[in-house]
Amino acid sequence: MTVLTGPVDAVATVGRPRMTRWVVRLHRPALLAWAGLFAVVAGLLIALAGPWADAAAEGWRHYDACDFNRPCSYDQTAILRYKSWYNYTTYALNVLPFLVAAWAGAALTGRELESGTARLAWTQGTSPARWLAVRLAVPALALTAGTSLLFWLHHRAWAAGRGRIDTAKTWYDTGTFHANGPTTAALALAGLAAGALAGLLLRRALPALVLGAVFMSGIWGTTQQLLPHLWPAVTRTAAKQQQLDLGAGLGVDHGMLTSTGGHLPLPACDSEAACDAAYAKAAGFYDTYHPYSHYWPLQLTTSALLLAVTGLLALACFRVLRRQVS
Amino acid sequence: MTDTALRAEALGKRFGRRGRWALRECGFRLPAGRVCAVVGPNGAGKSTLLALAAGLLPPTEGRLTVLGTSPAQARPRVGFVAQDKPLHPQLTVAETLRMGADLNPGRWDAAVAERVVAGGALDPEARVRTLSGGQRTRVALALALGKRPELLLLDEPMADLDPLARHELMGTLMADAAQHGTTIAMSSHVVAELEDSCDHLLLVGDGRVRLAGDIDDLRSAHRRITAEADADLGPHTVVESRTTGRQLTALIRPAGPLAGDWRTSVPSLEELVLAHLRSPGAPGLATAEAAESTGTTEAVTEESAA
Repeated sequence: MTVLTGPVDAVATVGRPRMTRWVVRLHRPALLAWAGLFAVVAGLLIALAGPWADAAAEGWRHYDACDFNRPCSYDQTAILRYKSWYNYTTYALNVLPFLVAAWAGAALTGRELESGTARLAWTQGTSPARWLAVRLAVPALALTAGTSLLFWLHHRAWAAGRGRIDTAKTWYDTGTFHANGPTTAALALAGLAAGALAGLLLRRALPALVLGAVFMSGIWGTTQQLLPHLWPAVTRTAAKQQQLDLGAGLGVDHGMLTSTGGHLPLPACDSEAACDAAYAKAAGFYDTYHPYSHYWPLQLTTSALLLAVTGLLALACFRVLRRQVS
Repeated sequence: MTDTALRAEALGKRFGRRGRWALRECGFRLPAGRVCAVVGPNGAGKSTLLALAAGLLPPTEGRLTVLGTSPAQARPRVGFVAQDKPLHPQLTVAETLRMGADLNPGRWDAAVAERVVAGGALDPEARVRTLSGGQRTRVALALALGKRPELLLLDEPMADLDPLARHELMGTLMADAAQHGTTIAMSSHVVAELEDSCDHLLLVGDGRVRLAGDIDDLRSAHRRITAEADADLGPHTVVESRTTGRQLTALIRPAGPLAGDWRTSVPSLEELVLAHLRSPGAPGLATAEAAESTGTTEAVTEESAA
């Protein structure tokens, strides 16, 4: 039968173009860079979670036991080592989505459209849609696998210091919050889609590098704005004479309670008389926040939102490509 | 198999919403198996036409049929070499050809591709970024020929090649076309380069198709005449005429018997092309087999049956 159906059907029966290995080959430097970054950060996080956290905790134990009337000895180097390297790894995981967006815009789509190699692929038996799909899927896979392991390792390194190291970051510290959970992976994927879209829109490497990073900044900023509202927060209240200790968790809102139970912002006043007058309306205080038990709900809702944005950006990539190619 | 490689109907392409029309109201037909020269001055729309045929650009208006189907559907059966010969600079020559094999499963002819590359004495392990312009052209042609296209679209393919390489690669192309019945459309602004190898002409000027058809048919539809300055060119279509003293020379499309006292000759391809390019106002001509309208298909069927 196949003999009779001619060359057109022969193409369909022989199988689909093998594109994946060429995407890996063409972007080998980026893949190696990612593997290198992964190895370094993973190694540091393993050290942070184990010996470095233990040494720093020991240092803090000695420091806290000091009574300062006698010479005091504690291992300051260990304390600073945990603190510095913890900050560097957190920083690396937080910057990653921006690097991914810039790379995707410049190298993944922008450069290929600028130099014409995208057209070469499209006239070599690969449909434009498939060309883009493979270019999005391969890095997405590498990023998801790598960041998933890294955020787990980061969470271990953070948990190792929690309650033992006085300067350990709170769970809701912005950098730590993202580096500790799946939002890192979701942000990296959003960066990939945003960068790819920038490259497809501008069709030039350098401007797409910038636009990719700008898109990512927009996504990051919006995420920060929305994050506290993605899960119902808890409100504590206190009578006027009581202290309400802010900082029990991720703050959403706080202010004065009126006698009818209404919420007012804390007044800005600069003299005692003005303050007395301003606070006269207060029957108490309130604090709306997320306790630590909201950590996973917030992580998962934020990640879901980011993945939805990623999906929309990917869809936009295909729409833009379809408008540009017949 | 369709007997038409390319058919354009009122085809138009504009870049940007208010941009310039690169092509407008193009209608022509390229019969399968022809070697077609796409000729025209710089910026005439040759590259746009070829990119449209390769399915790399969507037309703004009108329709283009490639190998009996849409340009996107035909893409696996079409080879295309863009004017700037884009290749991945970080790959070696051998890797580039392996990529061609991987991207064209079931079609790839490694022997053809390697023969084209071997002709240039290229080191297969050399990276593309180290190659000269002519060597890159060779690799790009190897990729396009290796996929065994039914239609090969070449945009200024020979511009970077030395005369020897040009001659050799043109020979390879012609042998391939003859052996497999490949239709070739290649653009150039050097008419002489194409005269020996092409049997079909598409003259594009100012975004429109000015001449379309078999080169011999087009030539014999015109006459270069020399006559007295006051000669009446009457019913004939005048493409170009010039009076020098008492003598008039003109390129005309005869519409009937020519006056006996005129000296007439069949123009060369170059004379034909230049005359049309010098007179943008002259009406276009498409021979019966090259006209896009369906009314002419009879003539075509007759010819292909013969």
